[in-house]
Amino acid sequence: MADFGGWLMPIEYPGAGVLAEHTAVRERVGLFDVSHLGKVSVTGDGALEFLNAIFTNDLNRIVDSKAQYTLLCNPDGGVVDDLIAYRNSDSDFFLIPNAANTTDVVRVLIENVPSGISVTNLHESFAVLALQGPQAVEVIRSLGINPTMDYMAFAHVSIAGCDVILCRTGYTGEHGYELVPTWSDAPVVWDALVEAMKPFDGLICGLGARDTLRTEMGYPLHGHELSLEISPVQASAGWAIGWKKESFRGSDVLQSQREAGTVRTLKALKSNDRGIPRAGMAVKAADGHEIGVVTSGTFSPSLKVGIALALLDPEYAVGDLVTIDVRGRESTATISALPFVPSHVR
Amino acid sequence: MSNIPSDLQYTKEHEWVAPTSDALRIRMGITDYAQGALGDIVYVQMPKVGESVVADKVCGEVESTKSVSEIFAPVSGTVVTINEALTNAPELINSDPYGAGWLVEIEVPSEPSGLLSAAEYGAITA
Repeated sequence: MADFGGWLMPIEYPGAGVLAEHTAVRERVGLFDVSHLGKVSVTGDGALEFLNAIFTNDLNRIVDSKAQYTLLCNPDGGVVDDLIAYRNSDSDFFLIPNAANTTDVVRVLIENVPSGISVTNLHESFAVLALQGPQAVEVIRSLGINPTMDYMAFAHVSIAGCDVILCRTGYTGEHGYELVPTWSDAPVVWDALVEAMKPFDGLICGLGARDTLRTEMGYPLHGHELSLEISPVQASAGWAIGWKKESFRGSDVLQSQREAGTVRTLKALKSNDRGIPRAGMAVKAADGHEIGVVTSGTFSPSLKVGIALALLDPEYAVGDLVTIDVRGRESTATISALPFVPSHVR
Repeated sequence: MSNIPSDLQYTKEHEWVAPTSDALRIRMGITDYAQGALGDIVYVQMPKVGESVVADKVCGEVESTKSVSEIFAPVSGTVVTINEALTNAPELINSDPYGAGWLVEIEVPSEPSGLLSAAEYGAITA
């Protein structure tokens, strides 16, 4: 167990381990308890306009009953958090921020909220369970629920007599669902999902597999690829920015960064030897001068090789050879395209 | 409970030492307790054949999906053989820490002393 944003979280579960849990999600199905994630409700007339003036992405890009990946930046372009916004209607949104950043997200929203709109921290009112993998669709079907949903769509369903918001979202790169029951119903829904996974040889999975799965997809993790010091332009998360919007928190700085185009940006590295890159390790060019730093690194269970995400000087591109300082040893790596393994989310 | 064979000797850093047919050569590895704490092992860096190692000093490292851990030499001596199988199958340390997952054999100038018995090591990991 490990402390994670103030929550005691399993890195892996007994009897399986990171590699087995990772493989279950890539090949069959796995279930994560990610109830540490924040939950925030924003309701009232004008909620869409309020959130659109704060978050980077444009909530007009999605319709009701769809979710969107977005960012909350500071005026200087640093990222307070990345989060998912669920649009019930233009006056009713449900947000899922990162656990450790929830109080900051709620604080920024409350500081800026106009009268008539309410922001409610529901952190311990709802749980979040993630059912991920190619067989997730069959597990949902076996519960008597129509599993056919567009990517990023959500619906209200009933599991084991409990009301659950079923979302076609995830953080693994596999076809999957995130389920939001109430906090008190969560154990019943968890048990029902564990039982329903059995015919499909599913595993319950911890944070270790969650990290190897998301790193293989190149998905950013706040505190690593995104932070108060790393802007979304650097993190290659420009796709989550509604550039056509009039303004949002941080838009001036981000726009000028985008136009300047000279900052270190996120690249993917694949080891050419047995070295395993880890966060904080220096990345060097062939001539030995430092060109960047690893933000996340791990052993890829799918590729059986070390992989990393790194912020590198902008002149380096896919195919270039670099070296990583692995505790004093030089490990060579090649800049690779993302994702490291094919995405199956759609 | 981890497995602690009674016929081996141990270090407080979770290495095991086994005698070989040669009284001045020992075989070493990491314990069942250590592999369990590390989780899935994906990389081992061992000393090279011919390299001198010093008791209680770092002589390699073992990396799992979760973390990196240093390997300490249980005795002073010269590395004479390494377990080449671990290069492509480091998971042998997880599946058989006292057997196929052995790390290296070390030639020692005299029979090693100062190691822990199974009972003493068991008291540390209890």
